[in-house]
Amino acid sequence: MEKKQIFLFFIGLLAFVQVFGQRDGVIVLDEVILSDAKLLHFSKGTKVRVVNDSVQQKSGTSLTDLLRYNSNVYFKENGYGMVSSASFRGTNAQQTAVVWNGININSQLTGQTDFNTLIPGNYGDVVVRSGGGSVQYGSGAVGGTILLNDSFRFNDSWKNSLQTSYGSFNTSKLAFNTSLGTEKTSFHIGINHIASDNDYKYLGTDSRNENGAYDQLNLNANVGFILSDQQILKLYHNTFNGDRNFSGTLTAPADENYTDLNHRSLIELSSFNERKIARLKVGHLYERYRYFPNKQRDEFSFGQANTLLANYDYKYQWNKITLNGIVDISSIWAKGASIENAQRNFVSGTFLFSHELSDKLNYGVNLRQEVVSDYQSPFLFSLNGSYKVAKNYTINMNASKNHRVPTFNDLYWSGAGASGNLEVLPETSWQLELGQTLEVKNLALSLNAYSITTDNLIQWRPNAQGIWMAMNVQDVSQYGLELGFDWKRKWGSQELVWESEYAYTKSIDNATKNQLLYVPEHMLRSNVAYQYKKLVAFYQFLYNGSVYTTTDNSDSLPSYTVGNIGLDYHWPDISKIKFILGLKVNNLFNKNYQNVAYRPMPNRNFQLQLITKF
Amino acid sequence: MKSRNVFLSLLTIGLSWSCSNDDEQDQEPLGDYANGILVSNEGPFSNGTGTVTFISEDLSVVNNGIYKMKNDEDLGNVVQSIGFTEDEAFIVANVSNKINVVNRYTFEKIASITDGLNNPRYFIEANGKGYVTNWGDTADETDDFVAIINLQDYAVEGTISVALGPEAILAKDNTVYVAHQGAWGQNNKVSVINTATNEVIKTLAVGDAPNSMQLDASGNLWVLASGKPAYTEDETAGVLSKINTVTNEVDNNIQFETTQHPSGLNLDGGVLYYHLGDTVFEQSLSSTTLGMEAVLEDVSFYSMVINNGRLYGTDAGDYASNGTLTVYDLNTKMAIEAITVGIIPGGIYFN
Repeated sequence: MEKKQIFLFFIGLLAFVQVFGQRDGVIVLDEVILSDAKLLHFSKGTKVRVVNDSVQQKSGTSLTDLLRYNSNVYFKENGYGMVSSASFRGTNAQQTAVVWNGININSQLTGQTDFNTLIPGNYGDVVVRSGGGSVQYGSGAVGGTILLNDSFRFNDSWKNSLQTSYGSFNTSKLAFNTSLGTEKTSFHIGINHIASDNDYKYLGTDSRNENGAYDQLNLNANVGFILSDQQILKLYHNTFNGDRNFSGTLTAPADENYTDLNHRSLIELSSFNERKIARLKVGHLYERYRYFPNKQRDEFSFGQANTLLANYDYKYQWNKITLNGIVDISSIWAKGASIENAQRNFVSGTFLFSHELSDKLNYGVNLRQEVVSDYQSPFLFSLNGSYKVAKNYTINMNASKNHRVPTFNDLYWSGAGASGNLEVLPETSWQLELGQTLEVKNLALSLNAYSITTDNLIQWRPNAQGIWMAMNVQDVSQYGLELGFDWKRKWGSQELVWESEYAYTKSIDNATKNQLLYVPEHMLRSNVAYQYKKLVAFYQFLYNGSVYTTTDNSDSLPSYTVGNIGLDYHWPDISKIKFILGLKVNNLFNKNYQNVAYRPMPNRNFQLQLITKF
Repeated sequence: MKSRNVFLSLLTIGLSWSCSNDDEQDQEPLGDYANGILVSNEGPFSNGTGTVTFISEDLSVVNNGIYKMKNDEDLGNVVQSIGFTEDEAFIVANVSNKINVVNRYTFEKIASITDGLNNPRYFIEANGKGYVTNWGDTADETDDFVAIINLQDYAVEGTISVALGPEAILAKDNTVYVAHQGAWGQNNKVSVINTATNEVIKTLAVGDAPNSMQLDASGNLWVLASGKPAYTEDETAGVLSKINTVTNEVDNNIQFETTQHPSGLNLDGGVLYYHLGDTVFEQSLSSTTLGMEAVLEDVSFYSMVINNGRLYGTDAGDYASNGTLTVYDLNTKMAIEAITVGIIPGGIYFN
């Protein structure tokens, strides 16, 4: 309760300082148009990497494909296109948050996001924010956060883009985007359909990925209205409908099928002037899965959750100080084949403070307290700072306490041989990170070192009666190094872009000192793109180190390297219509590899793509 | 890799030893794995393969993954159990719907049975045929069956439709007894199959979720049922039933308390043993009530077998790493040896 008072005090402070300050109206408008401004002001000192849309065109369709080759997030995929879980800095899938327009969308049932059920193509940029961020983004922002933000373009012409693609395993993709921006309104719709037989060969065997077909439909729609020079109304919507068979393994066939349905809707009303921005968000999230153990039969199990949320965000700028208070209220209902109606009510208060002490030094203090109906939530904080030592050399620092809360499955599951546990505590995590960046002309280098300690890791284990239960069983630590290298050169009609990241990751069970399951110690990725006039050639490379598949480190999967190559040709415009013809070869060297044991990944495959812009 | 090296060096030692031995003795050994213990390890549940561990009789030699060593292939996903004929071992891989048939002493593969199985559980030989319990599709409570295996060509030559969830299987002469634990649900039956006609001649009611059976020297069949667990919200007591195999009638039912859920019925030296909570109890064959005499306390086993005064109990650890087999002397109640085996060790057999 003491913390509540602190929070109220800060809110009071915010109202008080409102009298001071001055700022440019246009800058404010630009900021209000952003769907997640927390990133702009309150992530200084943390490592943030933006994956822009030209990179997206070169990568596959799913968020897994995009991030696997463009970030140092490590993915485990149960066969290509199947359930895909992220591991950020040696943490697990539940310790990686996915945030849609400022709202955390990790599943309320499983606590994680299946990265093969998100299609990034309709969002402007995809942002990868490494390190702890629970104060800003809530549960699961432990290893890092992936941000998907819709963009609103006012004063823009009518733009259309049609992307069609066909390739190996009968994989077809269709994406259509249309946007229109006038002075007062902005409008965008994006639709994607992806279908594949996905029956790739298991290299070195006579079998194929028999039961891996998928079919996905995704829709993004958003509308913005500038109501007055002090008010903007924005509406966001996303629907994803996925239908997948679940691949078997090298030793067992499968007949399973799995469908996902997600609806996400958000209304945001912002009122602003030179100094303050007040945003009111009201949103609804719906998730539902159906699992058919045998796709020939009608029986299925399911789970679904509805989240109703309201969020009031008040930001105030006072000279070099930015203050932000946020109140979140949400109610979540979940039910399923193994969950009777369960409900959770949630209130949180967040206070964010950022200060530009000088042109060189910036620091921030961020605090958050949640009050939740069915578990005790810890007080969270983060401190961050960045210091510009020289014109092109910056040092960053951040320290934070983060959490991952028990999911509805963890608390309320009730099924044959397994049971939720109301006693489960949230995982709490402490971390410290030091970073430095050096930018000289065409070159950017970054080096980040971090350390994470997590207590009360939630895992499912059999209890004394042999019933599987969620328990706080483990304390773990991660530490590692990340090295980034970006190089760009332009001469005449040629351009060369080369960017690489190397990650060294130790992820350790504090009791046994063993490396945790499926965390590669070494990972290296590198992308090179070369443009000559209307021709773009690119190469994507990934080295994924060996990973352990047993907790006693007695068994492991070998390391692998995968290379993809692509060629895009920008056709001369035909009556103002742009054509880009592309060919991509994935797994160029036909490498036989697995990122989950006994679940092979695809052999060499081809994808032909035509993008039309008008 | 390390265990492989150890295995190879052991193999080399074994070879040189057996070579020098051959000069002195004329008796050919039946195979590398003739005298000792076989442990079946289920392996990871969702992906991967189960394995078989060989442990020599004196517990000094341990070879993990012997099927792969001999045959350079995986056994399959979730190795549920091993059944034996005189010379062969039938290794049942549940999720893979596969039985690999090997010579039980050399572990060289003879055949794989893949057709005609659906969620296979346990194998027994009776009247010149193999009998395998199968759950069928777990969503269908009426498609459970016992597969009949031709032991000449290793093909499923017929099926016997049975009640839900056939699990443990046992043969007495030409009669086969099947305990219906109930697959993902619960059942409380024992099916009696006449192998001459391959028909279910009788279905007996026992306690809920019968998990293990033993046949005593007087021809009584003992069936231990764990009762329904608490999470079913219809918790029932464990029951030990004595069945007369001449009349195929239940002679006696010995009841546990409602919250007591025993498992792992064993018979050694004319005494019954079972596992309950963290204790192993013994039970006299002649008693008609529960003796509740503790033999070993503060132990927890994934599975246990008692043989010649020794208790062999496995621990699956965190279910994602190699488990252990601990051998106890029941006279001294002391652990003699703890041996690292494979992932989730579920079956213990004597070769």
